[in-house]
Amino acid sequence: MTQKASNTVKHNKITWKEIKRQKFLLIVSFFMVVYGFIFYYWPLTGWVMAFQNYKPKNGLLGSEFVGLKKFQFLFGDATFIQVIRNTLAMGVLNLVTSTVMAILFAILLNEIRSSCAKKTVQTISYLPHFLSWIIVTGILHDALSSSGIVNELLIKFGLIDTAIDFFAHKEYFWAIVAFANCWKETGWNAIIYLAAITAIDPCLYEAAAIDGAGRWGRIKYITLPGIRPTIMILLLMNIGNVLNAGFEIQYLLGNGLVKSVSDTIDIYVLTWGISQNDFSLGTAAGMFKSAVSIILILIANYAAKRMGEERLF
Amino acid sequence: MKLKKVTALSLAVTLAVSMLAGCGSTATESNSSASTSGAKETESSSAGADSSGTKTSYSEDEIANYTMFITMPGSEINDDNEIADLIAEKWGVRIKETWLTGQTSSEATGTLIASGEYPDYIDSDDMALLVDADALVPLDEYIDQYPEFKEQWFTEEEWDKFRWTDGHIYWINPFNNTKGEPTTTTHNDEAFWIQVRVLEWAGYPEINTMDDYFQVIEDYIAANPTMEDGTPNLAYTILCEDWRYFCLENAGQFLAGYPNDGSVIVDTDTLTVGDYNTSEDTIQYFRKLNEEYKAGFVDPESFTQTYDEYIAKLSTGRVLGMVDQWWDFAYTVNDVFKQQGLDELGCNYVPLGLTTEAGMENRWHTYDDTVNQASGIAITVDCEDPARAFQFIVDCAMDQELHDLRFWGIEGVDYDVDDNGLYYRSEDQRMNWSDTTYQASHRCQYSYFPQWGGTSDDGINANKPEEQPSEFQVDMAQPLKDCLAAYGADNYVDMIGSVIETNGAWFPMYSYSNNFTIETPGGVAWVKMGEIKHEWLPQVVMAEDFDATWDKYMEVYSAAKPEDFIAEMQEILDTFK
Amino acid sequence: MKKKKLSTADKIFTACNALFMIAFVTITLYPVLNTLAISFNDGIDAVRGGIHLWPRKFTLKNYQTVLGKQNIITGAYITVLRTVLGTALSLTTNALLAFVVSRKRFLFKSQLSLFWVITMYVNGGLIPVFLLYRNLHLTGTFWVYIIPGSVSAFNMLVLRTYMTGLPDSLEESAQLDGAGYWTIFLKIVSPLCKPVYATIALFIAVGHWNSWFDAMLYNRMKSEYTTLQYELMKLLSSVMQQSGSAANASAAGADAAAVTPVTMRAAATIVTMLPIICLYPFLQRYFVTGLTIGGVKE
Repeated sequence: MTQKASNTVKHNKITWKEIKRQKFLLIVSFFMVVYGFIFYYWPLTGWVMAFQNYKPKNGLLGSEFVGLKKFQFLFGDATFIQVIRNTLAMGVLNLVTSTVMAILFAILLNEIRSSCAKKTVQTISYLPHFLSWIIVTGILHDALSSSGIVNELLIKFGLIDTAIDFFAHKEYFWAIVAFANCWKETGWNAIIYLAAITAIDPCLYEAAAIDGAGRWGRIKYITLPGIRPTIMILLLMNIGNVLNAGFEIQYLLGNGLVKSVSDTIDIYVLTWGISQNDFSLGTAAGMFKSAVSIILILIANYAAKRMGEERLF
Repeated sequence: MKLKKVTALSLAVTLAVSMLAGCGSTATESNSSASTSGAKETESSSAGADSSGTKTSYSEDEIANYTMFITMPGSEINDDNEIADLIAEKWGVRIKETWLTGQTSSEATGTLIASGEYPDYIDSDDMALLVDADALVPLDEYIDQYPEFKEQWFTEEEWDKFRWTDGHIYWINPFNNTKGEPTTTTHNDEAFWIQVRVLEWAGYPEINTMDDYFQVIEDYIAANPTMEDGTPNLAYTILCEDWRYFCLENAGQFLAGYPNDGSVIVDTDTLTVGDYNTSEDTIQYFRKLNEEYKAGFVDPESFTQTYDEYIAKLSTGRVLGMVDQWWDFAYTVNDVFKQQGLDELGCNYVPLGLTTEAGMENRWHTYDDTVNQASGIAITVDCEDPARAFQFIVDCAMDQELHDLRFWGIEGVDYDVDDNGLYYRSEDQRMNWSDTTYQASHRCQYSYFPQWGGTSDDGINANKPEEQPSEFQVDMAQPLKDCLAAYGADNYVDMIGSVIETNGAWFPMYSYSNNFTIETPGGVAWVKMGEIKHEWLPQVVMAEDFDATWDKYMEVYSAAKPEDFIAEMQEILDTFK
Repeated sequence: MKKKKLSTADKIFTACNALFMIAFVTITLYPVLNTLAISFNDGIDAVRGGIHLWPRKFTLKNYQTVLGKQNIITGAYITVLRTVLGTALSLTTNALLAFVVSRKRFLFKSQLSLFWVITMYVNGGLIPVFLLYRNLHLTGTFWVYIIPGSVSAFNMLVLRTYMTGLPDSLEESAQLDGAGYWTIFLKIVSPLCKPVYATIALFIAVGHWNSWFDAMLYNRMKSEYTTLQYELMKLLSSVMQQSGSAANASAAGADAAAVTPVTMRAAATIVTMLPIICLYPFLQRYFVTGLTIGGVKE
């Protein structure tokens, strides 16, 4: 149903008649473009900092230009490549797990018949969203420490003999980060999908029930296709965010032993840029991230277009 | 209660409005000489709660309301803070302090500069940025107006360390200055700490080297695997979270008998800079840690624990020893010990001045005042009356009454005076003083303004309560007293027994390396070295084969070009030749 | 017979689902309850750790300290004001923008979408933004909370997806009746968008409620424009000190070492959460009750 909608796009020709007809739309657009230009595009003049040795006192106009030196510094450093790898890996892992979990949770929640139970579970589910990372990582550290509950259970069930120090091993780190993200955000992320589910015409479910579809059948043939545009849009948006895998959680959970897998671009910039008063380096890294994001978005959007899916633009 | 809040609120708004109107009224210049230092040297500091002293008292519209931004986290005091009001009334200045929140120092400083709007006073970790931006007022001429302050606060050499490349002085470090007799009782710096119960059990043996240290801990834990309540004892733990990894990293310099230059060691005979990271003493230190780790005496969670977890662990009283700096653990942990009665069980820590070989001199404790010229209090160009603002800085340093008000509080309320003029506090007073709510409404230390250690002008009391010997004694539990007595020490400083000597003018070298930027090869090397040490030192301690891992570490380490860093540090040291 | 078989499958499904939900709720609720327990525990005692679901040494002192902070009332007032005003403005602008780009006939719909999508992935950095706000005289005012962030591409896209999903026939029949776009937006699209409006309103409101960085950055010295979260953040900040320097910490001594107690952090967190917990049930009915789109079918 919705798929069809996006396929029936026909390009209107720009004619006076059409412009007059769309006067309202055009006026709104005009204000939106002006607003967006001022608040989002104008500050991009700051990108000039990436090619300078920016000094706050000289400002953007007066700072000395150094060409591509900052970029050379970034890409000339082997650890920067490592840091990109970590950021990408955690970004992708987070994207996949959090999307899957949120959709799964929203659908399963929707299948609960008792409205009271449904409301209670949902209210509880988004609470961790309001806990800061400091608190969440504190609890996680507790639970995963060698005397923590996880090790206790593993030993009790005879799965391991001695406690594992989860934070000392590089191979666990990405999984822990992905788990922590899911734990904190699944309920909150599910809200959007729940809202999308409400848009599905209840008649469709009735019709499916008459056709003899079970619970699985209804999820598969009605709910999932119903929220497909939402899934696609969010997925497309988040693909551009894979390089924003974060800073706080890795900073709070990481330690010297797992440094080589835990450091992200943001942490790298903090180490080299901010704490050394180098504003330009941070800007250069930011530009790099933006460039990668936009390329990813263009590719993803193109692919979505080819497959006849919902698109960003 | 409600009314009080409303009053507070309206006061806050009034204040803010008056600030908008341009930092309050201009000060009456004539007062500047009235409250300068000299005359009050002999004045007794027992003016107390009633503020009808000898000085002019200021009415609300004569008071200058200044703002101050400090790029360190801290707790704000209320706008109607009682002592702040008292100070405002008598000295005509009230400061609204704002602290760093959720930003780094240079980000905060950078945005201040970008905005071009400064507070009246500032203390930033990034002073160079501010001077570069012409944001600060040169203080030289003001300093010269107060010869007494100039002379007492720093020596001529020390003032010179603060001179910027243009020859001006822009900021004054407010800390680490001693007046009268030094009264330091705590060893604020780094040490190998050990619980007094271990020493008591072992019969207070002499402990000089790491071997002695671990031997006594191992023996103790073999005989006492658990505490009285059944909690297992833990021999030794290491904190390595982020910048706090000094607990692992730099013990080598001290073991070799060097003082805390922090980033390098300095040979005082030849005035050459050395790298302690690769020294024999450091290798030996890590080799020992590695042995102990393999023998199971080092906490396996050492390298993954966070600061919170580390403090929680120490607070249970089960950790027998560790390397740390006093301020990093003692304030929190000792409070818990006291509350849980663990201090009576001998859980308190005492510092040991270990060296690589027995009989070497140790320099864990720094006796003389460490001048950190990298930061301090400055007055910005946005301050309407720098002369008056500077005068308050001088008042803070030179007026004993003001100093007592800041650090002891109000006589009769926060402390009492006995017949000999000695200040003392009751248990309640001590509790109040450390209560956060009370601090916000009553206590006002202006803690980034000049302050003294040592004894006050009356010759009897310490400038700060925590340094008052009688206060110090009251706080100690019996096992700790016994332990200090057994080693013939009056306090922690005696206990560690460092060499008493004056450090060179370059000391501490870390005040220079802290200001390195990645614009020089040395600065780049400095960051890289830190990153590599963070990653490799834990591995070295945990290694199955110590030598092989150490060699690998050294390979990576030398690739970071530490020689660039050392060379730049040498250049700095050469200026002292 | 077939029907009976199905209901067995359904039963298994329901049971599994219930189990999953119970597990989910347990694992999710724990951190919250743990935080709650800690917030009621004595600060010094809590340092020892080991508090799970129940405070060991009960006290209300943390809440007294957190709520007794000066400026907390101003902060609460400003926060409520910005949440209400900000949400109203932001929802309106986002809905309008989404409406425009979801019109199939609109001439520049993909260009306008792209224009906004890009804003999600680029930013000029702290300093240029600061300079801009300063030149617009937004710094040091209340409006800096409301005006700059009011349109967001994320919200626009979510709204757009929902609006695109609405049957075209509704718009077409309205246009036949001579309705303009404004009428269609107000009378036809908006009523059908209640669930997604509720969702976006919640997102915006929570964003406003939780934000403190703008208060710190642009109104640091203006205590009359402080926000609740900024006041609470000042309590939390000492923990997140990123570039610590031992030199300064050691000089400042006890002050620097006085990390905000975990108990205070917990109390501040609970204070933050409460209003949202109270608000949510009112919005929730839009999410859990299905909405009938009415007789129009494609």
